[in-house]
Amino acid sequence: MLWLKNAEVVDPAQDLLALSDILVKDGKILEISAFFSEETVRSRAGGEEIKIIDGRGRLLFPGLIDVHTHLREPGQEEKEDIASGAQAAVRGGFTSILAMANTKPVVDRRALVEFVIAQAKRAGLARVYPVAAVTKGMNGQELTEMIDLAQGGAVGFSDDGRGIQSAEVMRLALEYAKLTGLPLISHCEDDDLAGGGIVHKGLASARLGLKGIPSCSESIMVARDLMLAEETGGSLHLAHISCKQSVDLIRQAKQKGLNVTAEVNPHHLIFCDENITLTATSFKVNPPLRTADDREALLEALLDGTIDMLATDHAPHTWEEKTRPFAEAPFGINGLETSLAAVWQYLVTTGKLPVRRLTEAWSLAPARRFNLAGGSLKPGQAADMVLFDPDCSATIKAEDLASKSQNTPFLNQEFKGFPVMTWVGGCLVSQLTEKSGIMA
Amino acid sequence: MIWKRKHILDIESLSREEISHILHTAKPMKEVLLRPLKKLPTLRGKSVLHLFYEASTRTRTSFETAGKILGADTGSIAVAQSSVSKGESLLDTAKTLAAMQVDLVVIRHTSAGAAAFLSEHLKIGIINAGDGQHAHPTQALLDMFTLQENLGDLAGKKIVIVGDILHSRVARSNVCGLTKMGAEVTLVGPPTLLPPELKVLGARLSHVLDTELPGADAVMALRLQLERQQSGLFPSLREYSRLYGLSGQRLEKTGKKTLVLHPGPMNRGVEITSELANSHYAKIEEQVTNGVAVRMALIYLLVGGTNNVMA
Repeated sequence: MLWLKNAEVVDPAQDLLALSDILVKDGKILEISAFFSEETVRSRAGGEEIKIIDGRGRLLFPGLIDVHTHLREPGQEEKEDIASGAQAAVRGGFTSILAMANTKPVVDRRALVEFVIAQAKRAGLARVYPVAAVTKGMNGQELTEMIDLAQGGAVGFSDDGRGIQSAEVMRLALEYAKLTGLPLISHCEDDDLAGGGIVHKGLASARLGLKGIPSCSESIMVARDLMLAEETGGSLHLAHISCKQSVDLIRQAKQKGLNVTAEVNPHHLIFCDENITLTATSFKVNPPLRTADDREALLEALLDGTIDMLATDHAPHTWEEKTRPFAEAPFGINGLETSLAAVWQYLVTTGKLPVRRLTEAWSLAPARRFNLAGGSLKPGQAADMVLFDPDCSATIKAEDLASKSQNTPFLNQEFKGFPVMTWVGGCLVSQLTEKSGIMA
Repeated sequence: MIWKRKHILDIESLSREEISHILHTAKPMKEVLLRPLKKLPTLRGKSVLHLFYEASTRTRTSFETAGKILGADTGSIAVAQSSVSKGESLLDTAKTLAAMQVDLVVIRHTSAGAAAFLSEHLKIGIINAGDGQHAHPTQALLDMFTLQENLGDLAGKKIVIVGDILHSRVARSNVCGLTKMGAEVTLVGPPTLLPPELKVLGARLSHVLDTELPGADAVMALRLQLERQQSGLFPSLREYSRLYGLSGQRLEKTGKKTLVLHPGPMNRGVEITSELANSHYAKIEEQVTNGVAVRMALIYLLVGGTNNVMA
């Protein structure tokens, strides 16, 4: 049995933000209280060995759940694989992650869903939940066998990486997915409007001479998908929202009571197009970093609940792919290991994002939306937990990352505040030590 | 001034003093170029390599001529017959060339930032001969040289640049350089080729050529890439030419002896009439001559020159 003492427990599901002791037994949260006497603990342990961890000065969160990662396996294991991605996840404080379907081959058949689950079991670190494709081969035309995929273990459907261009296919998908009860995750991007663009269409594209991706390439699809969700009554989750126009549409849709949720990526809350230089390919991401106004609108939406959750959109790419002229480098930011520390540094310590909302948006909301284990530290729940040390300082170094790729704009930045211990189902799966090079 | 810069990547990074110094250095270079025997020993034993990923006649030949007159050994990589066609990355190609102890690489590439990218990864000097739609600093410098030769000090001079501004690295670099030298620049084109965010460049934006012409000291027409019509950016050459094409008659609206520039290659009858292109107002061939002189100055400054002494 584990007795974790004196940690500042942050658990929005129980409306808890207080110094507490927590007991973990058989992989589950047994009890949580302001204080346990040794006697009580011994009686609860029932003869089992008691491991004590003093959490003084640290925070305990329910394990974070990332609904948007690209683990690249099968097919692009040079960028990442399920084991390295899961390792990066637990190091970054994530106990559960959703793996997107745009692998090679695309996860559009039950056997592939089961393969992802099997690989995650072998790795034995984070819980990895496959998202299956909406259309076969992600070609935007024929629907996948959603029932079979759901029975195989898929927790949602998405052609993420590309937008579904045909409104009719999207409508049919929203209708058909109702059979599964699982959300359809939409990557909102109109290919014509995005038109091979590289950065946000605005001052940065004008300054750098790079083709622009207008905000409307996203918001038009957001508007379309919200209308289709309203008409079909389907369950819709909007991935990586990046601009103010989309936020406004989602806010209206929520007022109407539609079954819609949305996520925002840390990089869209931290950076904007002014940060981009022609050789900084780690800032190249899709949807692109937009304006400072968009960034503020996204933060406001996250705070008021218009945007339900945070998600990394962890998109690993190799050094050689990113070491190219800006226009030729692939889109994507590596996120699992750095995102929590970055959000802490840029948003929590600056007072922009309360820690309670952080936990709600990165653990409870995703668990509820995708019906997953975790999300709270209520007794009886799986003991997926993260101990976070706000005083731990370290520099993000390429050689320390567990991910196979290092395409993060945070490289060589020093952060204060890191997850130091991560448990999945009561098992300690990650612990930062001085040896791992990350602890200060 | 003491020249310290190792690369010419864009105009943005150059100071007004550096621009003046380049233009000043180009003057004696032009004299050399116009000699019957045009050859200097200055850069004997130095080598300049031209790495062109995009088709080019005038820029590449201009650079090669400039390097040869200065006595440097010059070479060209025709990308189609090189290892690039075997899938070699830009970085590896450039590293290979640098390992051959080349002193300067002149690069033209379809991607914005390609020259800056090489400058970050290689130790040798880099000149950007055009990177995507980002910058074409040597073109802007030769345009400024031509304008200065004809107009004197550029401060307060009114320059109009007309055409496909959105896709033009020439316009981007020229606006930056001309405004640094104190000229008033107006960019003119249809809204589809001159979106409002281009205000970031620091010039005035207008969609009507005729109202911008009065008082203009120089008008620069840009090449219109004809395939832009298929992309829906303008309806027809006929209408484009009617609104934005330069002709002798239209040029009279300036009320001045206005210079006409064009970076070439021209679409005669589209952005400029033959009658105007052939007239004495047009400085298009002068631009080409000056291009060699300006590039001589740049190669000299980057490879050989730490002082102002001229051969």
